[in-house]
Parts: sequence; C-alpha cells; structure tokens
Amino acid sequence: MIPLEWYLILAGTLFSIGAYGILVERNGLKVLMCLEILLNAANINLVAFSRGNLMGQQFALFSIAIAACEVAVGLALLIMLFRYMDTIDLETFNILRW
Amino acid sequence: MAWIEYAYWIALLPLIGFVLELFVGKYTWKRGGIFANLAILGSTIIAIGTLTEVLGGARIDVSVSWFFDGIVVGYLIDPLAIVMLCMVSFVSLMIHIYATAYMDEDPNKSLYFAETALFTCGMLGLVLSNNLLQLFIFWELVGVCSYLLIGFWWYKPEAAAAGKKAFLTTRVGDVLFLLGIILLYFNVSHLPEPLSFKYLFSLEVLEAIPHTHLTAIALLFLGGAVGKSSQFPLHVWIPDAMEGPTTVSALIHAATMVTAGIYLVARTYPIFIASPDALVVVAVLGGFTALFAATLGLVVNDIKRVLAYSTISQLGYMLCMLGVGSIIGAFAVGYSLFHLISHAFFKALLFLCSGAVLHGLANTRDLREMGGLLKKMPVTAIAMLIGALSLSGFPLTAGFFSKDRIIETAYEYGVATNNFLPWIFILLAALLTAVYTFRLWFMAFTGEPRSYLAEHAHEASKIMTIPLIVLAAFALFFGIFQKKFYTFVGANFDSHLIEELAHIGGYHFHHAGHVPFVVMILPAVCAIGGIAIAYGIWYNNRVDVSTFISKENPIYRLLWNKYYLDFIFKDLIAERVFGFVALVAEAFDKYVIDGVVNGISYLVLTTGSRLRKIQTGVVETYATAVVIGVVILILLIGGVI
Repeated sequence: MIPLEWYLILAGTLFSIGAYGILVERNGLKVLMCLEILLNAANINLVAFSRGNLMGQQFALFSIAIAACEVAVGLALLIMLFRYMDTIDLETFNILRW
Repeated sequence: MAWIEYAYWIALLPLIGFVLELFVGKYTWKRGGIFANLAILGSTIIAIGTLTEVLGGARIDVSVSWFFDGIVVGYLIDPLAIVMLCMVSFVSLMIHIYATAYMDEDPNKSLYFAETALFTCGMLGLVLSNNLLQLFIFWELVGVCSYLLIGFWWYKPEAAAAGKKAFLTTRVGDVLFLLGIILLYFNVSHLPEPLSFKYLFSLEVLEAIPHTHLTAIALLFLGGAVGKSSQFPLHVWIPDAMEGPTTVSALIHAATMVTAGIYLVARTYPIFIASPDALVVVAVLGGFTALFAATLGLVVNDIKRVLAYSTISQLGYMLCMLGVGSIIGAFAVGYSLFHLISHAFFKALLFLCSGAVLHGLANTRDLREMGGLLKKMPVTAIAMLIGALSLSGFPLTAGFFSKDRIIETAYEYGVATNNFLPWIFILLAALLTAVYTFRLWFMAFTGEPRSYLAEHAHEASKIMTIPLIVLAAFALFFGIFQKKFYTFVGANFDSHLIEELAHIGGYHFHHAGHVPFVVMILPAVCAIGGIAIAYGIWYNNRVDVSTFISKENPIYRLLWNKYYLDFIFKDLIAERVFGFVALVAEAFDKYVIDGVVNGISYLVLTTGSRLRKIQTGVVETYATAVVIGVVILILLIGGVI
C-alpha cells in the first residue's frame, strides 16, 4: 500500500503549481485552469485521508461538482470581458480602482 | 367660589392671550388687541376677587414637584403678592385699552399686543412665584419681552440699539442675581424645597447660613434689582428705552418691568434684614440714585426722557425705603410698596399723557417745540397736571403720602444711626423732582405754541382719554388707603421673625421716635417750593436761563453728557476692555479651535488619499497578498514564527 505521505507530497506539489500559475499568469483562461489544479490538489487530500470510510470521497465528488459550476461562471465572465475589451489579459481589467 | 384657588389663572390668562394674539390676532376685530385686552381684563377681575379674600385673611402656597427632588413650581398669594398682582393687572389693563387706539395705525398691531400680553404674563408670573428659581425664569421672560418691545420699531436703528442696550445692561444684573441664587442654594440644599420661600424664611435656616454668605447673597440680589430697576450705575438703559412705543414705556415704568427689582428685594426682605451691611448699601444706593437721576431730569428736552429719569429717581426712593427700613422692620415693605403702587398709577398716567401729546403732535418729543397745549388738549393737560402733582408729592395727592412717609423714615434712620446721607439725598431729590416735573408741564402746556405742530395739536380720542381719567383718579385719591395698606402689607412677614432676624444682624428696631415738626413739613415745603421755582423760571420764561444752558457751563455740560457714564460704559469698558478680550477670543477661535478642526479634516483626507493607492485593481496583486497572508497564518498556527 502506498504510504499517505506520497499522496500529500503530490497534492502539495499540485497546489504549489496552481498557486504559482495564479500569481504569475496574465491570461485569464490559464488562471482559471490553475484554480482547477488547486481544487484537485485539495480533492486528492480528501480522498487520501478517507481510509476506513467513504466520507472524504463524497466530499471530493461535491467539490468536483461545485468546481464545474465555478468554471462555467468563470468562463462566462471571461467571454463577456473578451467581447468588451478584445482581450483576456487580466492586467487590463483594473478600471474599478480609484 | 373661592377666587384664591384659581389665582394662577392671573398669570395664565395673559399667556393664552399671547398665543391667540400671535396666531389669529390679525384676523380679528381691528387687526388685533381683542384677545390681549380680554385676557388682562380676566386677570384683573380674578386679582381683585382674590384681593377681597386675602383682605379677609386667606393665604395660599401651592407647590408641584418639577423634574428633580426639591425643584418645584407653584404659586403664592400673600398681601405682598396680591397688591402687586392687582396693580400690575389693573395698570396693564388701562395701558392695553389705551393702546388699542394708540397703536391703531401700526402694521404689526397684533404682534404688539401679543408681546405686551406676554410681558404682562411674565410680570404676573414673577409676582406669583413661590420659589426663587421660578421667579428667575419669569424675571428673564420679562427681560426678553422688554427687548422685543423696546425694539418694536426695529427698522429705526436707534430703537434696535436701545433694545440691545436694555437687554445687555439688565443682563449684568441678571447674572448677579443668578449667582446669588446659586450661593443661596449651596447653603440651604438640605431643605426639602431649597429655594421655596416658605422653607427659606425661617429663623433656623437663615441662622445656619454664615454671616458673610448672607451678606453676599443679599448684595447679589441687590445687583439683580439694580439691573432690573435701573439703579445707579446700571440705569443707562432706561433713557434709551424711550425709543419704544409710549405705551411700552408706560408698561415698563409703571407696571411690568422696573418694579420687579423692588419686588425682589421686598420678597427676600428677611435675608436683607439679617445682613445690616447690605441694608446700608441699599439705603445709600437708593438715596443716591434718587438724587442722581433727578439732576439729570433737569436738563433733558425729550418729554419722555424726563419721565424716564423721574422713574429712576422714584425707584431710588423705594429702594432707599427698604434700606432705611432696618429701623422699623417689617413695615418697611408696606411703606415701600405703597410708594411703588402710587408711583405705578401716576407714572402710567404721565406716560399715557405724554403718549397723547405725541399723538397730537405727530411724534414730536422735544419740549422746545411744544407750548400752549393747555388750550388744545385740555383733558390731557389736566390729567398730566394731576400726575405731575402726585409725582412731585404735592400735599394730599397719592404721591405725597407715600413719599412723605419715606422721607420721614429716612430722617428717623438718620437719628438712629447717625447716617443722614439717605435723608439728605432724597430730600434734595424731592425738591428737584418738583422742579423738573413742572418744568416739563409748564414748557409743554403753557405759554405760546413754539412750532407749527404745537399750533395744530388736537385732543386724543375717547378710548385714550378714559384710561387717563381713571388713572388720574387713582393718582389723586389713592392716598386715602394708606393706613389700611400699611397694616395689610406691613404684616406680610411675621414681625416676630423679622425682629429675631434683626437680632442675627446684631441690631434692634428703634420704634418711631419723635420727628420734629419742621422735618415733618419739609417734604411738602420741598414739593411746593420746587413747583414755585419751576413756575418762576419756565412759566412764560420769566427768568432767562440761557446763560446756564450753554455748552460753556461745566455743570450743564456734565449733566448734558449724563455724567459721562455712557461714555465710560461704551467707549471705555465695552470697546477698550471687552474689545481687547474679544480680540484675544477671536484669535483663539480662529487659530486654535478652527486649527484643530481643520487639522483633523486635513489629516484624514491626506491619509485616505495615500492609502487608496494600495488598491491597484490588478488581480495578481490581490492574489499575492492573499497567498502571503495565508502562508504567514500557517506559519503562525504551526508555531514556526
């Protein structure tokens, strides 16, 4: 049986990749994809800890469903932004500041 | 029906009259006046009804608790209060009736009547009060109304300035009075109702107050009376107050305002009796004011200002009487009040007569432009002659009896204490009073008309002459009540209590000694002699006084400039001393107060505009902040940092 630590290292690595992507990427689509990676890192943790009962796996399924909704909303927003501004570069979307 | 149970309506009715007159007055008969007249008629009827019961021995003192323990409102009817109530409401009624004709052409007639009704309400409430706090509230109400009414013709700059001057000058006295009340309160705060007269005026309470405090309280109360009753040196507002309508002058001088100061001293007389030092001040100040104002009355050419100075002078008599009362005790209140009331009758009469003269002469107030009015306005002339005789103290008029009694008591006081100053002052004042009063009468009513206006003068209407006749009757015949009045009002304070209080003060009453016949007839001699002097000089200008009346004569110049008191008050004290204080205060306000307020607002604005720069609007920045924050939180929770 694979030890728990390996799962945790995988999840930590994925989370770091996702976080790095969110912090440095300017492309809105890539940022959304990085968000999915973050969520899946959390899902791996949930499944990994659920030895002996299925509670963690249920949570992971919920999380996947909600992530799907979130992506739908996020993509819709991006499409609208693209129609207005002809770009999805997040640095251009700063018109709501002072 | 017991009138006395409803005595508080005496003050309440004019208040209702005020409200009605203010809001609906101008839509009623002749654009106002009906409500005020009816309300004050009602007050007069209740007051006289109550008087009959008080004469039969009825007394009442009702208190209702108000907001705090020991602070009460209530009303008190005793001989002192009821004679004042009857006088104020009756004289005020006469003036109101007269004013319906006198103020007929004024565009703000209903406002005038609203204000005079409130004025009367203030004075009646002041007299009804059974505690000092309530008395002070009405005292201030009277002050506000005097301001409004003196400045009633506000579009004249002099009238507006006179109103302000009256308000500010009497305010000096008001502050002293309030300080006196506060000092008294701290000394008697253990009483169930600390400022109520019924608890205050007992031997144990007044005995317990330290002697220095008692004297200070009495002197502070005297300060209040000096402001309100226009005694030296706060008398300066009265001559200027002549800028108001003549009926207002009559109200202020006879019924509602200046008598409040005398009433205050009379009402708190037990405190004064217990502090002989204060009484000496009262006697000398009163006597001095009587003489001082009389000298000023000699040179003024304004018919109303002559009367104004005579009021100051006569109020000096009343105050002096209360002061020299230290030798006779409780009866002093009776003597003083008798002069107050006979003065109210003849002074109201004189002012209303001068109003009739003004009415007939298109508001000319200068005596030099009158003359020969006896033929044109016979009723006014005769009424004014009666008033003048009474004011001068001509034998057998009301003023004779009241003034005679004061001068005699002042002589007895001199014999008892070797302080003849008050007696000399008021005796000389009696002579001068006769001189300037008849100077006024001879200049206005005899001789040849000295101007176009005087040639075409006309008698006033019936509504105006009837109050004159009624008041003239009182000014002539009120003296017959003197014996009854003295025993009635003189018994207002328990004579045993007053004697015990004098004992605290460290002196005894000297019961009426023998007054030499010469001294007894001196007041009458002064009155007749004064009239004779005036007759000699001003009847047909027999004696040429033009050498005296010139700017080169230093005495004349001193009198003409009113002893330079206006100059001292306005140019030296008001402009130099207070001007400097105002400058400092303005600088403090501008740089410190405004500086703090503006500084805080500047600080907030600049901090805000700097801080908002951290909102970049770039998603990555926010995300970085979040991640850094989470990392720090994890490290904190893990105990690494």
